[in-house]
Amino acid sequence: MSQPQAAVGAAAPRVDARLRVTGKAKYAADNSPDGVVHAVLVESSVGRGRVTGIDARAAEAQTGVLKVISHLNAPELPPREGQFPPGEPLRPLQDDRIRFFGQPVAVVVATTLETAQHAASLVEVSYDAEPVSTDISAAEPADDPETYARGDADGALESAPVRLDLTYRMARNHHNPIEPAGTVARWDGDRLTVWEKTQYVQGTVFTLSAEFGIPPDSIRVISPFVGGAFGSAARTWVQSVIAALAAREVKRPVKLVLTRRQLYFGVGFRPAYEYELRLGGNRQGRLTASAHDIRTESSRYERHSEHVLEPGRMLYSTPNVRQAYRHVPLDVSTPWFMRGPGYASGAFPVETAMDELAHELGLDPIELRLRNEPADDESTNLPFSTRRLRDCYRAGAREFGWHRRNPKPRSTRDGDWLIGMGMAAGVYDTQRSEAQASVRLDADGIALVQSATSDMGPGTATSMTQVAADALGLTMRQVTFRLGDSLMPPAPVHAGSQTMASVGSAVQDGCDKLRKQAITLAVGDEDSPLYGADAADIVVRGGRLYVKNNPTRGETYQRLLARNNRSHLEAMGSYAGASEAEKFSFYAYAATFAEVAVDAHLGLVRVRRMVGVYDAARIINPRLADSQAIGAMTGGIGHALLEHTVTDHRDGRIVNANLADYLVPTHADMPEMKAIYIEGEDYEADPIGVKGLGEIVIVGVAPAIANAVFNATGRRVRELPIKPEALL
Amino acid sequence: MYPFTYTKAADTREALNAGRGGGRYIAGGTTLVDLMRETVERPETLVDISALPLREITVTKSGGLRIGALVSMTEAAAHRGVRALYPVISEALELSASAQLRNMATIGGNIMQRTRCTYFRDVTADCNKREPGSGCAAQEGFNRSHAILGTSDSCVATHPSDLAVALAALEATVHLRGPDGERTLPFADFLLKPGSTPNREQAARPGELITAVEIPAHPRPLKSGYLKVRDRQSYEFALTSAAVALHVRGGVIREAQVAAGGVGTVPWKLPAVEEALVGERPSDRLWTEAAEHAADGARPLTHNRFKAELLKRTVERQLRTVGGSK
Repeated sequence: MSQPQAAVGAAAPRVDARLRVTGKAKYAADNSPDGVVHAVLVESSVGRGRVTGIDARAAEAQTGVLKVISHLNAPELPPREGQFPPGEPLRPLQDDRIRFFGQPVAVVVATTLETAQHAASLVEVSYDAEPVSTDISAAEPADDPETYARGDADGALESAPVRLDLTYRMARNHHNPIEPAGTVARWDGDRLTVWEKTQYVQGTVFTLSAEFGIPPDSIRVISPFVGGAFGSAARTWVQSVIAALAAREVKRPVKLVLTRRQLYFGVGFRPAYEYELRLGGNRQGRLTASAHDIRTESSRYERHSEHVLEPGRMLYSTPNVRQAYRHVPLDVSTPWFMRGPGYASGAFPVETAMDELAHELGLDPIELRLRNEPADDESTNLPFSTRRLRDCYRAGAREFGWHRRNPKPRSTRDGDWLIGMGMAAGVYDTQRSEAQASVRLDADGIALVQSATSDMGPGTATSMTQVAADALGLTMRQVTFRLGDSLMPPAPVHAGSQTMASVGSAVQDGCDKLRKQAITLAVGDEDSPLYGADAADIVVRGGRLYVKNNPTRGETYQRLLARNNRSHLEAMGSYAGASEAEKFSFYAYAATFAEVAVDAHLGLVRVRRMVGVYDAARIINPRLADSQAIGAMTGGIGHALLEHTVTDHRDGRIVNANLADYLVPTHADMPEMKAIYIEGEDYEADPIGVKGLGEIVIVGVAPAIANAVFNATGRRVRELPIKPEALL
Repeated sequence: MYPFTYTKAADTREALNAGRGGGRYIAGGTTLVDLMRETVERPETLVDISALPLREITVTKSGGLRIGALVSMTEAAAHRGVRALYPVISEALELSASAQLRNMATIGGNIMQRTRCTYFRDVTADCNKREPGSGCAAQEGFNRSHAILGTSDSCVATHPSDLAVALAALEATVHLRGPDGERTLPFADFLLKPGSTPNREQAARPGELITAVEIPAHPRPLKSGYLKVRDRQSYEFALTSAAVALHVRGGVIREAQVAAGGVGTVPWKLPAVEEALVGERPSDRLWTEAAEHAADGARPLTHNRFKAELLKRTVERQLRTVGGSK
């Protein structure tokens, strides 16, 4: 018998909201184990070369400084193979080579943070600097592109009646969560405990195990709260290793927190690109061919790839497609996944080009997209599990008032402001991975559910509590969900919008198992009112088991457990993840609509309102979903108009490594935003019917804004972010 | 941050004594502490002057306004007299920083603000202002936010204050008190262009204390306002800005005060624009023609070429906003 759904679908507030807003939530750097001391990094001030000397005398002379560790005196770490991304991972303080500006070259450990900071500024490092290459426009790509082809794109482009040949550029972006990366490391003999800001506690165990050559089960990583991450904490970076290394050297627990500036060098970034896109079609607006050539940043020591080309491969029906993804190895730190990775980057050229084609053909941009809706996934020849993109367009157009858009650019004015409307589609693949969750129901009728997942912002603890409550037949208050400890049952990295599908399915499985155990116990118990009933007819609600069609016949978990002298019941839930040979093509979809105002003379762009419509299948909690969608639309404003990590290519220095010069939207930049979710489930994707939400919501926001800017001004800007000087 | 000693002055005499001994004055601390954290500033002694009696805003006998150096940005912006007499000052203040910073920061500190030039704030970069003779990384570096007016081969950093632009427009004076007594400097002489000594930013002598800024009386009625152009809606330094005050009588502009921000190494008074306005009748055409002079003498750099055009448009827009569309 399926359980009544009371908690899932409810707009429940976050179960940890009070802890978070009262400052009682303990983030990584809030932990101060007995005897903790402080570590501060010294970073390279050249972008490439070798360290020729380190003079730490002034630093070491400071009262309270315990040790200055550099490659000159750091213990040698065991050899380590790179796993992911491919390449040779950066090893901390192991050699004199400088691979990028801001690379840690030493760490100062002192009894107070202030002493460590000051002493770090006194460490004199000399370099043999070499010329740097950090500009993708000026550097050569690696000669082994990743390619994809179907049909004959070049031939079809040649003969296409309508052809667009466009180049798009996107600036580098940084994640910039509010909580900085932080690690507190403590050794107890050979055992290591780490309080870490991470989206993947067990991934951190894995990395530290490899770095120190110690067994994974001697390491425990704890991370119950994460203050935003956007992907930046989905990898264990070198400073975490340095914290543990320093703790072993000084034989005290060590706390190491990156400064805001250091976050621009240390925890990845969304890589810049140049994307050449050729589109061919007929006058009726049917695409016949597309060719995609992208050059994108990577470091020299690792090769980072993203799914930038996927939207151009499967979003629209196109018989002939050719794609090439070229890495440009540069003297930079390795890029890393940032919200909507790949897809958000790829949506800008593809969705802007569709708008350009619609304009060229005199077609409504939605109509053009409808004419190219594919029947199945042409990149895999698999049917879509669910694809409700048409519904997204329809609902979005209605809510937004798309019919009021004048297709003629520069035709709507409000005083000094030119008004424009734009839209774009979005897509993100539905990832699922193996996960487990333990469930324990105590004799007092309270359940504890645990999995080693994370909550960087979506409200994992809340949504999991909802799933567990319904599957157990309890109220949300009767369920506690815990996460963020590597000793808990395994969970995949909290990234790629896979947590709800993966961990949620494991939670449901575990709770189903436990509920069935209780039902089996009851129907076989002569003293139970449910004795002899058909287990399939029994449901549980509010902690009471009863016969569906005869609700008076039943009893509570508490009574059942007490009578049977059971202190608790427990079960382990699991989910196997995506199958090796998928039978369907799994994606979430979005349509984003934006209205902008552009100052006709000053070039300023202000977003006036946005509507986002999502086919993410089942929505567990609409309040949390809104928080994801509105946050992502806001992030999309940054992506479209503001965010731009600037590198000085003379020495590889990032010149705007702070939140005054790297601009993110303020509250004043946030307009009225509305999110709509297309109803429906996707049980082909996973047992709880979700497709993931946190990533799809940002995919398409930037091109929707860019297209609105074109509608407002008649100026097509093919470079993000769109700045006033491009519109003067 | 380098270690320092901290003393709190009970009165002006104590403050001046400490200042004479080389102490750095600190009030709101919103710039200084920031720069100390970056080790750009390394004062050995901080003299907290927040207890000094410099918190009054008074209307002077002649009808001008005197704002005590320790008045917070928030208080000054909200003050009835300031709002009524010089809206340009309130607007410049309210478009600055964030509410939290405006609550802390003082008027004296505001005009002592140091540049936001990224190379100045990064101690690993070459900067003549921070380290005379080391060179200027901004000239050939990333200089989108940098100055196009008043620059030199040594320095192209902008002055970051919005308030200072309004004060420059209104030809304010700065009241100073030092070991040798009191003196008053025209605002135009208080902030220094970089020349070959960009490390010298103000004409204040060592140990001198700003006690107040004074805005002289201007003929009434005076319409004034401030426009700040920036990438985002709030909490950003100006790409360009314009402070405009106009006295129109009998349909003719009798007095025009115009200054620009975000473009100069100091707040940039625009006499050519003012001259083009005085004696003329307000019209949209006049605004456009006068604003054509706004970027006279501009020396753009690689990434800030757009500023010359944007400045003209900013001044034009603000002339129209203050003077009316006709």
